[in-house]
Amino acid sequence: MSLLSVEAVHTYYGDSHILEGVSLEVDSGEVVALVGRNGVGKTTTLRTIMQLTPPSKGRVRLRGEDITGTDTHDVADAGVGWIPENRRIFSQLTVEENVHVAVPEGRDVDAARERAYETFPDLREHRYRDGGTLSGGQQQMLAIARGLVGDNDLLLVDEPSEGLAPLIVSAVADALAATAAETTVLLVEQNLPLALDLADRFYVLDDGRIVDSGETSEVEESDERLRRYLSA
Amino acid sequence: MTSVVLALSPFADGIPLFLDALGAFFRPSTLFGVLVDGLAKAALYVMIASGLTLIFGLMGVLNFAHGSVTMVGAYLGGLVMVLLVSQETGDPTRLLAFLLGVVVVFTALAALGGLLEMGLIRPIYDRPPLSQILLTFGLTLILDEFARIVVSFYGLQPISEWQAALATKPAALGQRHDLVVASVSGLKLFEIACGILTVVVIWAFLTRTRYGLYVRAGSEDSEMAAALGVNVRRVFTVVFALGTGLAGVAGVLLAWDQSWGASVPLAVETLLPAFVVVIIGGLGTFRGTVAAGLLVGLIDATMTWWFQNAIAFTGLPEMTIFLVLVVVLVVRPQGLFGVEEVGGH
Repeated sequence: MSLLSVEAVHTYYGDSHILEGVSLEVDSGEVVALVGRNGVGKTTTLRTIMQLTPPSKGRVRLRGEDITGTDTHDVADAGVGWIPENRRIFSQLTVEENVHVAVPEGRDVDAARERAYETFPDLREHRYRDGGTLSGGQQQMLAIARGLVGDNDLLLVDEPSEGLAPLIVSAVADALAATAAETTVLLVEQNLPLALDLADRFYVLDDGRIVDSGETSEVEESDERLRRYLSA
Repeated sequence: MTSVVLALSPFADGIPLFLDALGAFFRPSTLFGVLVDGLAKAALYVMIASGLTLIFGLMGVLNFAHGSVTMVGAYLGGLVMVLLVSQETGDPTRLLAFLLGVVVVFTALAALGGLLEMGLIRPIYDRPPLSQILLTFGLTLILDEFARIVVSFYGLQPISEWQAALATKPAALGQRHDLVVASVSGLKLFEIACGILTVVVIWAFLTRTRYGLYVRAGSEDSEMAAALGVNVRRVFTVVFALGTGLAGVAGVLLAWDQSWGASVPLAVETLLPAFVVVIIGGLGTFRGTVAAGLLVGLIDATMTWWFQNAIAFTGLPEMTIFLVLVVVLVVRPQGLFGVEEVGGH
């Protein structure tokens, strides 16, 4: 049984039909990349899984259990973490508080923070600073740390390299690789080399439909198979 | 406080008399008296506005029924105190009656707030803000009319202060006390103490508890908070309950203050300054509300002194807080501590 099954989901924003029967599966321990041009529905796919934008048709299953239409916090409690586009750090909360929010109730907050700081030592140095004062790279580290301390079985990671300097992208890639060693990841990423480097499998999304999929070991970034769906 | 009534007209012999008033204003006793008066007003403004700012900050709901809840709190708290206090009751027992009134009012109105949020407001979160405004405005009309009917039934005058509740105040709070360089009202000192206590309790809740952390996170980005596992709906209910409970507690204190008193018009009288303070501070920020409460309270007290003692006209001081609002909106539209967007749901 797959950890995550997305079964023929259709999702709308108002009258706009964004996802038109998207299906994909993610198994435990995998890193799966979802690639595609801007505006084809990648972020909406992650939002649909989190039930932030619930589908009007189709099902989302986690460990075989139907989570379609449940509250987002219940999806999070079930072990799905979301590292969104633009990080969405709580700018007026300190680094410590940002991490604290992500720690499930009843868990040891200090131990969770220690885990985050061990993975991202830079955060320990800035732990009393407000999230809004961090650099883009530090915010991305913090966003990943929040996903880590949530004890999630599945992390939905949306465009982690967006807007970051190349040197920082490399650090973020290392952090994601470390994270992927511990948990299952569904990665949305426009940076194709990064996505192919991290992922075991890929899906290509185009105009709200899955148009291709396969093992990342079968393709290269220059493959026409990928290029035709990724170039603007 | 030394009272200097110059009764001057700004149009005749104004400048020499203005200079006299200026000299009187800068006497230590006058300054201290104005400071205490300003802090007491600030304490009341912060108490009235805190619930409003918590609710708006987290939920993006402008609760027009907030003033009506304060009014109901004044009547309910007043009722508890009137039932427990007689002419022979000593000051300690009167204070205990006040505390009991606070507990009863907070419990009852927090429960009412929680029910209102779950039953009426929750179904319309996804609708345009106008729906929430109309709904809470409708609640105002219902609560005000309900209060008018009840107090009239019991032979009370709805539009004037409830004297029996005012009379339950401890004697020490009705007297003036020599403090540092001036004689100040015991009630004003009590109001300042209540205001400080309110700020400390809310600050501790927001910064020292897990729920407070959820409130601050949810105020900034409720969708992200939910995605991190926070049950935002439950936090909404708790905050709405706390906000209405706080509004009611402010009403209990106002029932003792001759300048306010328990009356049906108290709903509007408290709603306006609450909105002014919340807007000046920055919609939805608690520290902004505290800062704005202090600013408005001190300016209000200062202008009240000038209008009462140097111009002998009492109508305009209330206008000054709206002038402060206009200036702040022109210079800094998001308020003193405001962020560009709140209530991210």
